[in-house]
Amino acid sequence: METTLSSILTYLSAGFIQRAFIVGILMALLCSLLSVYIVIKRLSLIGDGLAHTAYGGLAIGLAIGSVESMLSNPFLVGGAIVIVGSIMITKAIRSARFSGDAAVAVFLELGLATGIFVTSVTRNYGFNLNALLFGSILLVTWTQIYATALVLVLTVVLIFVFYKHLLYTIFNEVQASAAGIVTWKFDYLLAVLAGTAVIVSIPVVGILLTSALFVLPALTSLQLARSFKQTIMMSPVFGLLSIILGILFSIIEPNAAPGGTIVLVGLTLLLAAMVTRKIKSLFKH
Amino acid sequence: MCGCPIISTLTEEPIVELNDVGVKYPGNIQALEHITLKISKGNFVGLIGPNGAGKSTLLSVILGIVKPTTGYVRLFGKPISPQSLRKIGYVPQEPYSKGSNFPASVYETVLMGRIPYSRPFPWFGREDHRKVEEALKRLDIEDLKNRKIGELSGGQTQRVFTAKALVGEPKMLIFDEPTSGVDSEAKKEFYSILEQLNRDFGITTILSIHDLGVVTKLARTIICINRTLYFDGLTTGFNSNVILPKVYNFAVEVIKHGDHP
Repeated sequence: METTLSSILTYLSAGFIQRAFIVGILMALLCSLLSVYIVIKRLSLIGDGLAHTAYGGLAIGLAIGSVESMLSNPFLVGGAIVIVGSIMITKAIRSARFSGDAAVAVFLELGLATGIFVTSVTRNYGFNLNALLFGSILLVTWTQIYATALVLVLTVVLIFVFYKHLLYTIFNEVQASAAGIVTWKFDYLLAVLAGTAVIVSIPVVGILLTSALFVLPALTSLQLARSFKQTIMMSPVFGLLSIILGILFSIIEPNAAPGGTIVLVGLTLLLAAMVTRKIKSLFKH
Repeated sequence: MCGCPIISTLTEEPIVELNDVGVKYPGNIQALEHITLKISKGNFVGLIGPNGAGKSTLLSVILGIVKPTTGYVRLFGKPISPQSLRKIGYVPQEPYSKGSNFPASVYETVLMGRIPYSRPFPWFGREDHRKVEEALKRLDIEDLKNRKIGELSGGQTQRVFTAKALVGEPKMLIFDEPTSGVDSEAKKEFYSILEQLNRDFGITTILSIHDLGVVTKLARTIICINRTLYFDGLTTGFNSNVILPKVYNFAVEVIKHGDHP
């Protein structure tokens, strides 16, 4: 026990672990805030769809750009493509020709296929696909931290300013527009925010686990909250717990990849919340 | 119930004006055709017609949710705008679907009715909260305010959404078949609240409804549609034996048996 504790403390003094915690906390706040809107709007897989779009985008970015250049940086190219993708997914859903899940699926496949095609044609195998799939929270750079912080601040400010309009739009779009609110604007705003969050979270937690952070915190808080206010306050707490405990577990068990432990903690919290709700409802009746 | 002041209220400037309105949905479905009518201030209008007659479409046109393919709509003497929509309180047929599991408390739901009138940022003003308390009291649902809306009965849900429509201090209230799935005792109480709101505050009311018995008891004027307009006039002048067979295509007996308890 003592050795575990002292090894944790040793790790915590290391710069790369500190950076992992900082970026993890920022990311937890960012994704869990957005997750409330995404889960309630029944777009739980949008994170997944956008993450795969980002894979295609990053592949294109790496093929045409270079890491050294500011303008053609693969992440900027990928980010631009994800934002365009998020706008197009929203447009497809709003056109009512597609259901939400179908629109997300189409973009997921498009992104994945483009990614595989471009990487294979350009033989860009130097591009570390593994790192993109699973993320590398322990190799985070300060630039990534700044980028995540910037996206977080932007997201919090926009959600703060348009809090009421976003709430009314996700509550009931017909009632909101009958009350004179221009709801389509807020649909696109949410999609673009989700796209921006995806592009900063991929290098950290990876394509496969990004969508977990977009779903689990809100889903967990929805089990327990009795109002929207409680939901939006609890969600970041669950997001933070998953990330912090997840990183700690991966320190205790050095062979465990943090991406996996973070999501497993998140799933455990969801299970605990579901059990708590069940017990509560048993006592009520 | 239709006393003397009717004539004077009916001659006032119309709150809603539809001129030759037609709505065609994709797939060449003509939902409404050549609808011209006026609704005057303080009126209580019963909107009737068979299923699929376009009642909800007509209300959606007035609320700016559906744009007419032909003709035009004017609210409060002007084309529809966010400003004019804010003067209308709307209670849809199914205001809250239980499947959505939206995590709102009753208080929060009613407070949402204040959103169009309040500033950006998450906070509401003292005035907003005061209006919510008032509306909760008026609809006798103060004891429900901390409940989750998904846990309410049909009748309670209808009251919550009427309270939500009221907090915007509307000049007009629109109800789209508000009592489907509500038991008859709750229906009676609900209608008496609508009657009160119209009488005491002069709120113009449009009530879309199946139940002819309720309409003739509550409404001062009746609008009867089935794609086109069949009747628009005083309830006292509504001869159901003549008009209904035309509109309902001889399904009248069924409707009449559904009279208000």
